[in-house]
Parts: sequence; C-alpha cells; structure tokens
Amino acid sequence: MSSTATLAAAPSVIQARTWRGLPALAAALVGVLALSTLVPEQGYTLNIVMQAATYSVAVAGLVVVLGYCGQISLAQAAFFGLGGYGVALGTVDYGLPFFAALAAGVALATVFGVALGLASLRLGGHYLAMVTISFQQILTLVLNNWIGLTHGPDGVKGIARPSVPGLHLDRGDHYLALCLVALVCVTWYIWRLKTTRLGRAMQAVRDNEIAASTCGIDIFTTKVLAFGISALLGGLGGGLFAGAFAYISPDQFGFGESIVLLTMALLGGVQSPFGALLGTGLLVILPEWLRFLRQVYLAVYGAAVILIMVFLPDGLWGLTHRLRRPASVITGAVTPLPLLGQRGIETADIAMRIEGLAKHFGGLKALDGVDMAVRRGTVHALIGPNGSGKTTFINVVTGLYRPTAGRIAIAGQDVTGTAAHERTRRGLARTFQNIRVFRGMTVLENVMVGAERPGNDIAEQPALVVERALAALDFVGLRQDANRMVGTLSYGTQRYVEIARALAGNPQVLLLDEPAAGLNLTEKQELGALLRRLKGHGLTILIVDHDMNLVEQVADHITVLNFGRRIADGGPRDVLSHPDVIAAYLGEPRQDAAA
Amino acid sequence: MAIRHLTRRAFALSTAAVATMPRFARAEDTIKIGVVVPSTGPAAEAGKFGINGMRQALEMVNEKGVLGRKLELVTEDDQTTNPGAVLAFSRLSGRADITAFIGPIRSTQVHAISPDVLKAAKPMMFGGTDPTLTQEGNKWLFRCRPNDSYSAKVIAEFGTGDLKKQKWAVVFSTDAFGSNGSKALEAALKDKGITPVLMQGYTNQASDYTAVVLAVRQSGADIVGSYFTFESDLGIFARQLRQLGVTVPWVGSPSIVNTTALNLAGRALFGTYGVADYAVDATPASKAFAERYQALYKAIPDNQSSWTFDAVNLLARGINDAGSTEPEAIRAALAAIRGYAGAEGEYNFDDKGDGLRGYNVVKNENGKIVFDRRIEFKA
Amino acid sequence: MSLIPQLLFTGLGIGAIYALVALGFVLLIRAASVVNFAQGEFSMLGAYAMVILSGALGIPYLIALPIAVVLMAGFGVLFAGATYWPLRHRGQMPVIISTIGASIFLANTVLALYGPSPEVLPGLFDTPGFEVGGVFMDSQYLAIMVTATVMVALQFLIFEKTLLGKKLQATSQDKEMASLLGIPVALMILITFAYSAALGGLAGILVAPVLFVSVGMGAIISLKAFAANIIGGFGNIPGAILGGLSLGVVETFGAAYISVPYKDALAFGLLLLFLLVRPQGLFGEKIAEKA
Repeated sequence: MSSTATLAAAPSVIQARTWRGLPALAAALVGVLALSTLVPEQGYTLNIVMQAATYSVAVAGLVVVLGYCGQISLAQAAFFGLGGYGVALGTVDYGLPFFAALAAGVALATVFGVALGLASLRLGGHYLAMVTISFQQILTLVLNNWIGLTHGPDGVKGIARPSVPGLHLDRGDHYLALCLVALVCVTWYIWRLKTTRLGRAMQAVRDNEIAASTCGIDIFTTKVLAFGISALLGGLGGGLFAGAFAYISPDQFGFGESIVLLTMALLGGVQSPFGALLGTGLLVILPEWLRFLRQVYLAVYGAAVILIMVFLPDGLWGLTHRLRRPASVITGAVTPLPLLGQRGIETADIAMRIEGLAKHFGGLKALDGVDMAVRRGTVHALIGPNGSGKTTFINVVTGLYRPTAGRIAIAGQDVTGTAAHERTRRGLARTFQNIRVFRGMTVLENVMVGAERPGNDIAEQPALVVERALAALDFVGLRQDANRMVGTLSYGTQRYVEIARALAGNPQVLLLDEPAAGLNLTEKQELGALLRRLKGHGLTILIVDHDMNLVEQVADHITVLNFGRRIADGGPRDVLSHPDVIAAYLGEPRQDAAA
Repeated sequence: MAIRHLTRRAFALSTAAVATMPRFARAEDTIKIGVVVPSTGPAAEAGKFGINGMRQALEMVNEKGVLGRKLELVTEDDQTTNPGAVLAFSRLSGRADITAFIGPIRSTQVHAISPDVLKAAKPMMFGGTDPTLTQEGNKWLFRCRPNDSYSAKVIAEFGTGDLKKQKWAVVFSTDAFGSNGSKALEAALKDKGITPVLMQGYTNQASDYTAVVLAVRQSGADIVGSYFTFESDLGIFARQLRQLGVTVPWVGSPSIVNTTALNLAGRALFGTYGVADYAVDATPASKAFAERYQALYKAIPDNQSSWTFDAVNLLARGINDAGSTEPEAIRAALAAIRGYAGAEGEYNFDDKGDGLRGYNVVKNENGKIVFDRRIEFKA
Repeated sequence: MSLIPQLLFTGLGIGAIYALVALGFVLLIRAASVVNFAQGEFSMLGAYAMVILSGALGIPYLIALPIAVVLMAGFGVLFAGATYWPLRHRGQMPVIISTIGASIFLANTVLALYGPSPEVLPGLFDTPGFEVGGVFMDSQYLAIMVTATVMVALQFLIFEKTLLGKKLQATSQDKEMASLLGIPVALMILITFAYSAALGGLAGILVAPVLFVSVGMGAIISLKAFAANIIGGFGNIPGAILGGLSLGVVETFGAAYISVPYKDALAFGLLLLFLLVRPQGLFGEKIAEKA
C-alpha cells in the first residue's frame, strides 16, 4: 500500500510515452529510403513492392476501425477507390498538381468515411456491415455508370506523378520512396495511436460499449473518428496507388477487393499495424509463391480466412506475443489517489438527488416514482428482492436507459436527459454486477481509461494519467498485475480492476452494482474492508446489493425497493426492522436480524 | 549491393543496345516472345484456348525457323485482373532476352499496360477491340482483331442493307466492352442517317430483363442491335424477349453466336444474326486453321485461338522481314505488312496499328451457326 | 399495353426468389445469431448438386430434387462444424468473417471444378409459361411463388405448432434458459443449419432455369436477400417475405421507370434508407433487453 512518505516528491515513474519510438521512426525512414535505392527503376519488383506499400496504407486503416474500434467495415476498397479516383481525375481531367489531387481524394474518402461512421449512431454489428456493403456496391455502380465524370469502365489512364523540383518523383524508384515514407509514417502513427487516449477509447468501445460509455467515452464520436481515420488511410493508399500504376479502373475497387484487404488485415493481425504490414506483404507476394495452386488459389484463400479465424484469432503478428517476456512489474512510487488526502465527514449536502423516477417497459412498471437523496460523504445502500427494479434503477441513473418520468440531479445539476458519458463527466462512476472490463487491454490500460474520464483533473496529461492509474491499483492492491491482460485475472480480481477504474476517475459519486456477486467468502470480507476504507476517506457511494452482511457493515442510509416502488428509506436499524421490508424482502422475519 | 544496383540499372538502360547485339548467335538460341495470358481467374479457360492457337502457329513457324532460330513463348498469368496484367507485363518487360510481346484480349487490360509497353519500347500484338486503344499514339501496339468500330459498322451495314431495317433498338452492357460497342454502333447508324429509337444499357448479371424488353417493345423498333458481355445475361434477355412477344430481327456482337450462349439460350436465339471476327468458313486461311486445330485439339476453334495464332505468325513474319530482332526494325516491318491472309482475315496494318477491317456475319439456323457473308471496309 | 401488370408479375417473381433465400437467412439469425454471408453459396451448391444428379447421373427430376435437398441439409451440418462451432463463443464478428471466407472458398472450389461457363438446368415444366390478359406468366416464376408460399406456411406450422418448433424457438430466444430446460441446444442449432442449407439449396434449384447455374448466381441473390431481411426486420419471418417481395417490385419498376443500370443502386438505396430511418425494419426486430 502507498505510504504517506511518498506524498512529498512523487517522481513520475513513467514518462509521457506519446513520442516514444521517434528514434525508431527516424531509423525506419532512413531504412526505407536506403531500401528504395536498391529497387530497379521499373519492372516487376518495383511494381510488386509499390502495390504492397500502397495496399498496406489502406490495410492500416482497417487496423483502426476493425482492430482497435471493433467495427466491421467491408468498404475499404471503396475508400481506396475514392482516393485513387481523386488523384486520377484530379491530375488527368482537372489539371491539378498531384498533391492537391491527393488531398482532394483523401478528403473525399474521409467525408464518406465519417458519413458511414454517422450511420453507426443507430446501427451496430451486422447492420453496419450491411451499410458498408451497400456503400461499396453503390460506389462501384457509380464508377461504372457515371461515365461523364469517372470515364466509366474504361478507367482512367495517364495519371501523373508528383513533380517536385530536384526529387524526380516521376521516376519509379523515387516514387516508391515516397510511398514507403508515407507507409512508415502511417504505421508509426497507428502504432502510437493505440497507446493514446483516443486509441484506448476505441479499444474500450470495442471491448465493451456499455462500460466505455460509463467511463465517460462518447461512443458515437469515437466510432465516427475510427471510421474517418480508416477512410482517410484508405484514400491515401488509393491515391498513392493511382500514381504508382498510372492507370485505374472500377474493377480494382470492388467488393472482392474489400474482402482481400480485410483478409490481409486478419492474416497479419488486426490489432497491430505491423500485423497489417505482414499480412499485406504476404498476400501480395503469396500469389507468386502459390502459383502451383493455380485454379484453386482463391479457394485456398477463402479456406485460409476460416482457418485464421479459428486458429489464429490475433493473426500472424499475434504469434509474436507468445514469444514476449511475461508482463513486467512497474515499480516506483506515485502520488496516491486524491481521495486519500481527505477524511470522511458526513454532510447534509446532497451529492445526487432522484425525484419521481419511473421506467416502464411496455405495460411493465419496472420503476414507479422512486425518490432518493444521496448525501455527500455517506454510503447509501439500495436493496430489494429480485425483480424489485434495482438494476433498472441503476441503469436509468447512469444513463443507459431513458427514464419514463422523473428527474436526476448530480451535485445540483440536472442530468435527466443526458447521455451516459455526459453523466460520467459530471462525476458519476459505476461498476457492474456482471463484470464489464475491457478484455483486450491490460489492467493498467483498463484503469487508465477510468483516469481519462472527461472532467477528471488530470485527464489531459498523459504522464499523470499513468500515475493516477497506478495509484488506483495501489489502493486496491493490484500494482503487481498492472501489465497483465485483464482477461488472465480471476473473477474476483477483475472486480477490483473495475473498482480501481472507477476510483481513478476521482468520482463525485460511486455506484456499486452488486459488488459482492460471484465472490467467495474471503473475497467478500476483503471487499468489505475496501469499502470501509473508501467510506473512511469520505467517498460518496451508492451500493446496490443483496448481501445484508455487507450492507449492514457499511451503509449509513438504506433505501428499499419492491415492485418498482420505494417501500422504506432511512437509517439501517430502522429500515431493516421495518415490517414492510421484512415482509417484502423475505416473506418472513429475518433470521440473522432476529439473532 | 551498390555495385550490383548500378550494373542492373545500366543493364536496364541499355536494353535496346543489348538486344541489337548479335551475341550468342547460336542456332539453338531461341527468340523469346513474352505472353500475358490468364491462366487463373474467370478467363482461365479462354486463356487456354489462346495458348492453343499460339502453339499451333509455333509448330508451323519453327519448321522453317525465324532468322535461323526458333521462337519460344514465355507466358505470365494475368489472373484475369487489371493489376495482374500490369504485374505480369512488368515481369516480362524486365527480361532483356524477350523480343516482342503478345498481350491480352481484354481491352481494359491493354489500357492498363499500354504505358508500360511504351516504356518497354518493343512491339506488342493484342486482341482487345476497344477502338481507342490504337488511337493514343502508342506505336508499339498492333491489333490482331478488327476493332469494335468495325463490328458496329458491320452490324449497321447488315441491318440496314441486307435486312432493310431503319428503327433500331440498341441494347448493351454498361461495361467497357458494351458501352464502347454501343457508342460505335450509334455512330455507324448516324453515318447512315439513322438515330436509334432506343439506346438501353444494363449492368452485367442483372438477373432480370423485363424492363429492358418492355422498353424495346414500347419503342416500336423493327430491329435489335446488341452488345452483350456475358452469355448468361444474353440467355436470360433472349428468353424474356421471346416470351414477351418481341420477334423482330436481332443482330448481335460476337457473344451471341458462341457455344455457351447457344447452349444456354437454346431456341430463343434461333434466327438471330451475329457478327464474328472469326468464322470457320470465311476464307481459305480460316478453314485451314480450323482443320489443323481440330486435328491437334479435337475441338472447333473460336476467336480466342484464331487471333493468337495470327499474332505469332505475324511476329515471325515481321522478324524475318526485319532481318533482326531489333525492336524498331520489327515494328517497321510489322507496320509494312500488306495482304497477309490470317485466320481472322486479311491483315493490312495502318499507321495506327489496326490490321483488320472486316467482320463475318453468321446466322443461327435452328442452333447451327451458318456463315452468311464477310463485310470488309477500306482503311 | 399491359405494362404495369407485367412488371408487377416479374417484380413479385424476382421478389419471391429473394424471399425464399431470405427465409434461410432468418432462421440462422434467430436460432444461432449467425449472419451467414455464404447463404448464396448454399443456393449455388444446391443447383450444382442438381446439375450432377439429374444432368450427369441422369436421375429423374422429381427423385433428384429431394436427394439434392437432403444432401444440402447434410452440407449445412458440415458448414456449421467448420465456420460456426469453433467460433461460437467469440461473438458475432469472427463468425461473420468466417462465413465470408466460406463463401469465397465454396465459390472458387466450384469454379475450379466447373469453370466459369454457366450450366443449363431445366425446370420441372416443359412450357415456358402462358399468357393471361396480356401478361406473360413465366412458369418458373410461378413455381417459385408457390414454393415460397408453401415454405412460409410450413415454417409457420413447424415453429408454432410442433414441439420441435417450440424447442427451436426457445433456443433462438435464450440459449442458457433453453439448456436449463433440457433442450439439446447444440442439436437445435445444427438442425437449423441443416434446414437453412436445404432451403437455400431448394431456392437455387428453383431459380436455376431462370438465371442458369453459375458460380456467381448466389452472390447477387444473397445480397438482395440480406437486404430484404433488413427491410423486413431482422430475424422476422413475415418481414423477410414482405421485404423480399417489395425489393423485387421496387427494383423492377425502378428499372422500367427510372434507370436500368442503376436498379441495383435503387435496391441498396432503399436499404440504406431503411437502415437510417427505420432500422428495425417493417416489422421490427425481436430485441431482448440486456444491460
């Protein structure tokens, strides 16, 4: 546990890592420039490397949208085509310089990408897949049939390469150098993106949308950004491709090509831009190696997709994870959680006020006019038998459901109509009965997502976010597991990760939804101790639980629900001996209360 | 590495010089022809027929030899895609020992590799029929099939002259082949003072043609001209056309008389006319080609193999006439070829690289394809 | 001229094809939450099975038909074993991607065996059709419409009136609860795959005389059937039928009165419109509240 001795001069144990890898970037740039001089000025080798490089840029886009954000996009070839046609029509028909045409193509692709992302406001999963397919099909039809604009199925030829004085970019090997520089920069950016706030937000959305929204992440904006970045990279790759081959036609950007790009990403590993590079390189070169398969080549391709999904869910790059050394332990002292600096003082301030809250599902009144006032610095318990509306209550309060009637105010501000992430920004944090952690991320990253809650004091400072997350892990005693994948921890331990995630956000009010569910006796005792420590530091907590033992240990105030109505409200002694509560809750006198 | 790189580049730059050197001029040293052909993908079967035609020609040519040497084919698979064609051609053009090329039959593929042919600066024989391919100043391209402006002229000539019809409905695929063909047909009709009563495009694999057929019916056309790319589309359209009671004469692009279409559409195509760049009975040369082909491969040849047969023969003749394997000399010799009787017809290359200007009209008589007549145009 | 009735008949005929394929989709979505992108390939395989049975082996049509359908049912089980079973606990997306892989695999395997030339598969009827009041009724379209109607009725009866149907429904609604009730969930899902493949195969055999048998025949139909599903409401049986029919009609009239080349764009445009304005479709998806 953290000691007060470290309070004075807490050195930042982890530097801001955003710019990590800049030397690697520089080295890679020098490397590809050197490499490009080895490639002949024209011919097969040049073409194949050029194809692999430009495709890789587009596949890196899939890493963002599919790998990081978990949204299926079956239209990457369409964005590739928009970029390609931007360059082709820009340079051939409108006499634009190459880079202006490229910018136009990339912008066009990005606009359509954002538009598809906007569709995700209402749709997810297979619907979104269908939207992307429809977009892909319509674009193919337009490219073929709007002959006046696109030259139709003949395609566009004589596409110019950039002319920059002194660089001779029209020469094959020099143009390749340009493509490789773009690829290295894109790869570096995507690699770093994963460790940024936006990157973590995307992964959180991928792993668990509901938990992400209660961590203050605006899911919709995050998805739109993922689609936008992905389409931008698709357009960039396509634009470079058009310049590379000087000729493009609509059949290069069809649905089939989208599948090829998707397969490249999956084969290499959709979680990493290096996987994308690997997959693209393999699938561009593989047709050459597999020439003996001839007719059945594409069939093998299809079978490979299934086999990859079954046996290599993380792609080839994912295999390298198994070779890596076990998760290291992060040492070094950090500034403790701010809440540890305070002593619990019960006040008359209302941290959260709920008035007349109702939620009807059709004819079912899951909540029917519930009032509740949670005072600052207290532990308030909400109890009730199964089906009494507790979970509905917490879901309405955190903004996952829209209430039928009633008002919710946090620290005096009305939040009734706001989205979940907006309430989190105002200081609401919660845990879930069925644990919702971000399984694709490490323990530390999970907690960092919590620390990055909008409205948190340190949310904008990457170095302090790491510190705050480590401090939260110190508080729940999980520092040694910080770099482990959260999925490798036991169920009980994952619950602590959830609590640490909530605490790192320095919330005004902490909602614990049945925190004791699924825990064994020892774990329950530990949880009780943790809650008492939190209470001791004056954190405002609303706890929903069955476990009378736990509730009696920590609660200052108890509200009881039954059939969606409040049947009792007050101090623990009064409420637990209230005859209505005993009748409703147990149907008979409580034995342990009687004992 | 740097040294190797330099030599390789110097090597590439001096390709032309190397080719002209009479180095290793031994009798067994072959003259290599680079061939871009689909051996995988949807056109793989057609690619096989193309190779058949080339082999047959090779057999003939190598009996006498070319400049005392033998011809050899170096094939590369284009995977039936445009990028595949670009890659295949770049593999071939990277080899200094290749003298000339035989390119694809698909126009979009020729479009895709045309700039690279210009860079490689060696002659390429090809089979794509988009008229614009030879009109863009690439002097290395030689077309071994009549282009679509002639198929359109022949359709127009036959329909207005022989069949005496004036109200045309033109049905075409909106892909590269169909839209170019339909434009050429529209232009050819315009030359005769006719504006079609209907120009109706459809997309490939449209699965239902009721709307198209009804449009033809409503237009009051007394003749249908068509450019269909896929036989299955042609088959569905033909059946629905007959079902909905349209019985006017129909003159179609080559696909209307190919074996697959006859098989799929059956009775619906009886009585239709088609234009074909290759017909067995068209000329003595085409007949001779068909007889030898049948003996070799036990099958009746079609245009997939006739043009490649001609391409190899023309190259052999061009190299012999040039007296060297120097690309410019071969190009000049090819361009000077007059009156060569190939399987596809009589070759007279013009300054653009178009060798043929005639099509055959054939008729579907109860499922049998019968040669009607050959229509030739002057350059 | 009988323009409008003719277009209506054709539109309904085409729509019935979409609806029939869409039915197979719906079942898998309901029972296993699987969005099967290889549904079109079921139709393609069914048609090729029939080409082999009645064409190459010379088995009479009415005997070959049930054999082909049973073979397809068996294939459905194999398909489930390869693409669904190993991934069933990993969420929707891996299964979607693996069915896409299966679709590429199946199409190209058949391409390697049969080549790109389409095959001819005759229908049950010798007459191409007959004319009623200036409207030509294609006999195969009629057969498809009748079959689609019968299959819908049959499906309704099985689902609502038999114990097997009840078990299937329970499985599709809540797998955990179903297995607690002693329903063999795995078996129920396999049955659904088998039925869906058989239905897809039957659809392929019925449309073969109209569209010919080719490797690509399934792709376009299944995409439209998928669209029909969404328009009708995902996983909703009457919705799939109505969605399919309206898609066919919209397409045919769109081709006649707006643009032939863009008729597919009209279909996908209609789909996008539905997705954005009424994503629950005409009938609405059965969405379980889970938080």
